Amino acid sequence: MNDNHAHPNNAQLVYAFVLHWVSTLGIFIVVAGFAVYVFELLPQSVAIDAVAKSWHLSAAELNQRYPLPTGWTWVSDILNGDILSFASIVYLSAATILCLLAVAWVFLKEKNGIYTVIALLQVLVLVFAASGIIGSGH
Amino acid sequence: MQKRNGGRWFRLVMAMLPLLGLLIFSDAAFAAAEPPPVEVDWWIWVVALFVFSFFLGIVAVVAGVGGGVLYVPIVSSLFPFHLDFVRGAGLMVALAGALSAGSPLLKKGLANLKLALSMALIGSVSSIFGALAGLALPSHVIQLTLGLTIVFIAIIMLRAKKSEFPEVAAPDRLSQILHIQGIYYEDSLKKDIDWKIHRTPVGLLLFVVIGFMAGMFGLGAGWANVPVFNLVLGAPLKVSVATSVFVLSINDTAAAWVYLHKGAVLPLIAVPSIAGMMLGTKIGARLLTRVKTKSVRVIVITLLLLAGFRAILKGFGI
Repeated sequence: MNDNHAHPNNAQLVYAFVLHWVSTLGIFIVVAGFAVYVFELLPQSVAIDAVAKSWHLSAAELNQRYPLPTGWTWVSDILNGDILSFASIVYLSAATILCLLAVAWVFLKEKNGIYTVIALLQVLVLVFAASGIIGSGH
Repeated sequence: MQKRNGGRWFRLVMAMLPLLGLLIFSDAAFAAAEPPPVEVDWWIWVVALFVFSFFLGIVAVVAGVGGGVLYVPIVSSLFPFHLDFVRGAGLMVALAGALSAGSPLLKKGLANLKLALSMALIGSVSSIFGALAGLALPSHVIQLTLGLTIVFIAIIMLRAKKSEFPEVAAPDRLSQILHIQGIYYEDSLKKDIDWKIHRTPVGLLLFVVIGFMAGMFGLGAGWANVPVFNLVLGAPLKVSVATSVFVLSINDTAAAWVYLHKGAVLPLIAVPSIAGMMLGTKIGARLLTRVKTKSVRVIVITLLLLAGFRAILKGFGI
């Protein structure tokens, strides 16, 4: 343990390093994906106008009306502009998982059993949420 | 010169705030739950959302609140989007902000990884259930509970005391087992501050509630994380604020997945909000030393109260 000095410990620095690069890349991907979407550089699975005319509806109603991405069904349609933009947001949501995996590895190497378990449990919770086992569909 | 620019920005933000208040109570805003007229092109809404989020980002930083807590009640009042998509975008806004702020806070040793991981594990589980509940309940119930929560948050902001360096006589057993303690360099005092926490089990229970509410309303949860870290657990204020940002990035991730899988995140709404808010927070951080944060804070609390009461009225179908 090296908590007791004013400098952040190794695990914290590794997390910060991974987070910096993952989030910087994330912001770039999100903006680029959106540009592809709104400037219609790729075909769209649902036209922007159609989405905009119905965004007052609830998520369940809108998804009944149009094949918008839910669960992981969208992956095969990634070459559509709207799906690509959605995928960029998915990447942003996965950023924390990547950081936690990196820090779990550091804790494991430091033989810090408690925090290896906590970090891995946290990864499991997020992967469970990401899997769509609960929450996907209507 | 810089000061004059700061003043100009401040006046611009101030000029915008009464407008927001008016819009919150306008007929157009009340009609948000109804099918909107189609004559407005989609891109006008997208640009308006970007500009609005930009100003919201400035105000949020200057007032010392998270963007998410302002975003959801105000955007759901002003824009013709269903509350499901506003909450989905609100979570993404809070998540993007927390991700971009997290790295420097960890490097400086202000955010504490062990404190955050211990609280986030339990909070992230409850935020998943909160998100599921939020998307399953009828809109009017969510409006009503959102309104009550926003009013409650405004009252917390008005009344909650803060303690720069809380007294912790002795750390509790659980925090000792988890090695939750630290030292950070306090720039204002030019010395290292040694800190430890107590009442860890109570803190864990409170994070269950906070996680649930964050997931349910897509609000982010800095408004609740900071008082719990600071006043309940006894962490120094700066450590509490920084660690709160870090916890947000984990808990919001868990809830965001539920919204993504339910199709409640529309890039057309989420991306301009993220981009506008992030740009705004950067400008806001520059203005922080030049504007009267206390006055901005009063205006933000007033806005929250207005938006909260509006949501309550909407919840009752008024």
